[in-house]
Amino acid sequence: MSHTLEANAISYAYEAGSDVLRAVNLSVHGGKITGLVGPNGSGKSTLLRLLCGLLRPQQGSVMLDGRPLAAFSGKERARMIAFLPQSVNPAFSLSVFEVVCLGRYPYTGVLGALRGQDLEVARRCLRDTGTEELHSRDFMSLSGGERQRVLLASILAQEPRLLLLDEPTSALDIHHEAEVFELLRRLAHQGYGIAVVTHDLNLAAQYCGALILLSQDHTVLASGSPGQVLTEDKLSAAYGAVIRVGTHPFAGTPLVAAQPMGGAQ
Amino acid sequence: MTRIRYSVIAAILMLSLLIVVASLVFGTESLSMLQAWREWRAQTPLYEAPTLSILLTQRIPRTLAALLTGAGLALAGCSFQALLRNPLATPYTLGVASSGALGAWLAFILMDAGWIGGYFLGAPSVQCFAFLFAGADTLLVYLLASRKTRTSPSVLLLAGVTMGMLANSGIMLTRYLAAPERLMMMDRWLMGGVDVLGYKPVITLLAGVAPCAVLLLAQAAKFDQFGFSAEVAAGRGVHVGRLQVLTFLTGSLMTAVIVSEVGPIGFVGLIIPHSVRVITGPRHTLLMPLSVVVGGAFLCACDIAARKLLPGETPIGIITTLIGGPFFLFLLMRRKFTDWEM
Repeated sequence: MSHTLEANAISYAYEAGSDVLRAVNLSVHGGKITGLVGPNGSGKSTLLRLLCGLLRPQQGSVMLDGRPLAAFSGKERARMIAFLPQSVNPAFSLSVFEVVCLGRYPYTGVLGALRGQDLEVARRCLRDTGTEELHSRDFMSLSGGERQRVLLASILAQEPRLLLLDEPTSALDIHHEAEVFELLRRLAHQGYGIAVVTHDLNLAAQYCGALILLSQDHTVLASGSPGQVLTEDKLSAAYGAVIRVGTHPFAGTPLVAAQPMGGAQ
Repeated sequence: MTRIRYSVIAAILMLSLLIVVASLVFGTESLSMLQAWREWRAQTPLYEAPTLSILLTQRIPRTLAALLTGAGLALAGCSFQALLRNPLATPYTLGVASSGALGAWLAFILMDAGWIGGYFLGAPSVQCFAFLFAGADTLLVYLLASRKTRTSPSVLLLAGVTMGMLANSGIMLTRYLAAPERLMMMDRWLMGGVDVLGYKPVITLLAGVAPCAVLLLAQAAKFDQFGFSAEVAAGRGVHVGRLQVLTFLTGSLMTAVIVSEVGPIGFVGLIIPHSVRVITGPRHTLLMPLSVVVGGAFLCACDIAARKLLPGETPIGIITTLIGGPFFLFLLMRRKFTDWEM
């Protein structure tokens, strides 16, 4: 069964009077990658936290398969939705396998004891993300790309249906960035619904089935397929700068570049 | 987790048991357990059974007090380090002990001034004031830190350290005001001691430590999540706000009870969790129970030293730091302190 996470006209403000998000609608469907894009401070990360229930909208509602997200218990929710924040700072060192096993928390009892079945899931998640050979390494000793894949393995160990990822490639080089998006595409093919916040519009164009473009005034400026959303006038309006759009040399998707103020035409 | 680690843990458990037995045997006079057993079997009245009498009225309560104190302080320290994601955090860092000491000293002064008697609110005044002040510090630090929308660990630590400073200067003030003949008694209280007589203090300690310890131990799996990443933990269904309030209040109240009964015995909450982490790794499901055992055994061993090291009683607060300090420095130097990524 395909699962759907829906936000209906949600608004959020950290302090009264200064909205971070205004009347946002969006849905995340199983089997599909949805990209959340927009300028800094447009509320992308806040939107992701609202979608996974870490924040509650002051107006509107978030529904998971037609049931209000607030009606789920913490562990119940975590078995459906997994969230990966942008920066993960462990306070102490753990091995890769221990990190992935932590993902089994929503399935454990009060004592947090892991059963053989949990270890089996953790091993499968290492395989699915191509990180088996890192099994015993210290998590903190990994490279940025390896860390992201291990973190993905750890949230996959939650056996969720939906993945909400906050800039999973922000610290990665161009090659590892593409590698993570390839992995996300494979996961989407397996049926996961994925929402990903990213600043890389070109990768978003290549890999996302749908894009949500947030603007500086905290509303959704455009949503739809990358071809519909990534147009010069919409992007220029959203970012408040001159944005040019061409065509990707081999993917055929939109290729986006910002034109510096007063630069060459 | 390797097999070697499990045998190290088994060895630690054995050693702890030996320390407990030694704590019953050694003292100003060494007791023969065999003699005590004979007196017990013969059903000798206690006043004619010196060995059994010392064992029952002094050694056993004293050993229990040391075990409960060490276990409680180690567990509170361990929980606070996890909660605040900071290797220096203990209830002591947050001023709980200093405030308790200030309370005790105020009680001494007020008793001398005749404002209060030896008992206050049905408990010995010194203990009662110590508990009230330690508890007040806990609440005040928490209220200060949670005025912002989110409770921030750094604000909590800074508020706690400041409260500790304030309490310390209050202690200096009471010292300055106190009658000279009182100073000795007050200083002795400040150095701590588990030399309790009878079971009343033990029961108070047990009532304070046991329920708090059970509650904190039940959070071990959540601390694992929280230590890895607070936001990831929240995403996995850990109720972070609830965990913070519960840990902070239980840990502090447990420490307040301990400080009020045996004085501000320092350092245990800091060094025991770090030392145990070297053996168990950072997983709290193993780290916390073992910290309880090692903390109890460590304080028991310190108490044996307190009885035997010098003629008369050496204050245990001095011993814990004298033994624990160099050992902890050794650990710091030997290991690249990579357990904490900060």
